[in-house]
Amino acid sequence: MTSGIGSGLGLRHEHYEEILAAPGKVEWFEALSENYMVAGGQPLDWLDTFRRDYPMALHGVSLSIGSIDPLDERYLADLETLIARVEPMWVSDHLCFTSLRGINMHDLLPLPYTEEALDHVAERVMRVQDRLQRRLVLENVSSYVTYAASEFTEWQFIAELCKRADCEVLLDVNNVFVSAFNHEFDPMDFLRGIPRERVRQFHLAGHTNNGTHIIDTHDHPIIGGVWDLYAEAVRLFPGTPTMIERDANIPSYAELLAELDVARGIAERVTAREAAEPALGGAEG
Amino acid sequence: MTRSNAGSLADLQRAFQDYVLESSDAFAVQVRDTSKADRVTLLDVYRDGYALRLIEVLTIDFPGVLAMAGRESFDVLTRTYIANHPSRHPSVRWFGRQLADFLATTAPYDSTPALAEMARFEWALGETFDSVDAEPVGAEDVMAVPPEAWETIVFAPIPSLRRLVFAHDVPPSWQRREEVEPGTLEVAALDGPVPWMIWRPERVSNFRSLESDEAAMLGAMIERQPFPALCEALLPYVEEDQAAARAAGLLRAWVEEGMIGSFSH
Repeated sequence: MTSGIGSGLGLRHEHYEEILAAPGKVEWFEALSENYMVAGGQPLDWLDTFRRDYPMALHGVSLSIGSIDPLDERYLADLETLIARVEPMWVSDHLCFTSLRGINMHDLLPLPYTEEALDHVAERVMRVQDRLQRRLVLENVSSYVTYAASEFTEWQFIAELCKRADCEVLLDVNNVFVSAFNHEFDPMDFLRGIPRERVRQFHLAGHTNNGTHIIDTHDHPIIGGVWDLYAEAVRLFPGTPTMIERDANIPSYAELLAELDVARGIAERVTAREAAEPALGGAEG
Repeated sequence: MTRSNAGSLADLQRAFQDYVLESSDAFAVQVRDTSKADRVTLLDVYRDGYALRLIEVLTIDFPGVLAMAGRESFDVLTRTYIANHPSRHPSVRWFGRQLADFLATTAPYDSTPALAEMARFEWALGETFDSVDAEPVGAEDVMAVPPEAWETIVFAPIPSLRRLVFAHDVPPSWQRREEVEPGTLEVAALDGPVPWMIWRPERVSNFRSLESDEAAMLGAMIERQPFPALCEALLPYVEEDQAAARAAGLLRAWVEEGMIGSFSH
């Protein structure tokens, strides 16, 4: 999917003043939905301030779309209120479960990739989409365990979910890299398995490699291997908006902008190369 | 397929959650080792991360409690809280809501009541920070009230206003939280309980202590009593012929401080 919206960063309170002082450095911001599900005060004041100048995407962490708990009506109502306020380009969350038996784990717990889970998630995605009157964009999560019960690969599961529920994908390139390392699959198999027309957005991030497994910590700069995979993702999903996530050890806005420029440079080089060699670009996907 | 099928989505999710909450290790048989790591190492990424993530939230929301308790005790304290009060809200913003009550009622923390008071103060600050916005009433609005209306006029505070009573020197100590090594913040006991209020007239929250008569009048205002009753609330503290003037003075100060949200008569 080609939207041409360009590159964005996460909207973080640590950067509010720097963003004001250096306007126009990104094409859009991604706001973490839960941070703005409050009654008033500075969070909403800042959100409105930046929304006047930038398009925004809303990105949630607590929809818990895969849980066997009932959908959280209170959460959906809060999300609807926020959507009405922000009028976002798109609304995303994660393909996982975060709550169960009324307890919010505040972690992105992976699903087993089974026919039963697929039926369950597809039905819930369609209900949420009906309620929000828009397609949901779901992100592939980093995961550390492989269920013995899984019947599909993760990319097969995502592709089939998109088909059944008519939803879209937030392709987190770092998460593909992390999960490929942890579960010992070829990340290119993942990228090739995702339907081109369903990818709405890219995420990029850093991680922590413990040697035996990688943890998706979002607290380091993006590593070379993820940049290489990003180049492949740009080739396979041309024109997809890119955004860098940084949730800990947060550097200055200027430093993140410099990292975003690296992403822009890669996207420009890949796009130029593909334009020069259209036959190669069309060989896959 | 039977009800007890261990591979069902519901059973797998429950077992996964039980593992993370450390109530059962049974989920381990449902996941695979890799060539590089055994399944327990991988599962413990989730188990360890669960507590660490919530401790981080409480560290941000309760820096004064951390400054009093010290890192080691804060870690024990928060792990106990996490085990006893799992999050019931989709946003971690609300996770610390019960910490003050937990500290007030759980040994050994209940023997240091200043800890619970600090937690209550910090939680109220957070509530005020992102509470409902309201434009405070201006002095010119109050001055335009016709004289006959003062018999029935009722004032209401802005929605962010919170009242607290401390038996310890909590807010002044909280202001020193970043100047001291964690674990060394002293919060002295006071001679008697002191009322405080926290409110946010615009973007920035304020807090200050209240005189006894001011606290009594504020309580009457919060109960939406009319202005003559606000004057009566002062009678235990001031002479009867001074009450109206004192009430008018306090009201003027509250308006100037952006505490009054509305009035009707």
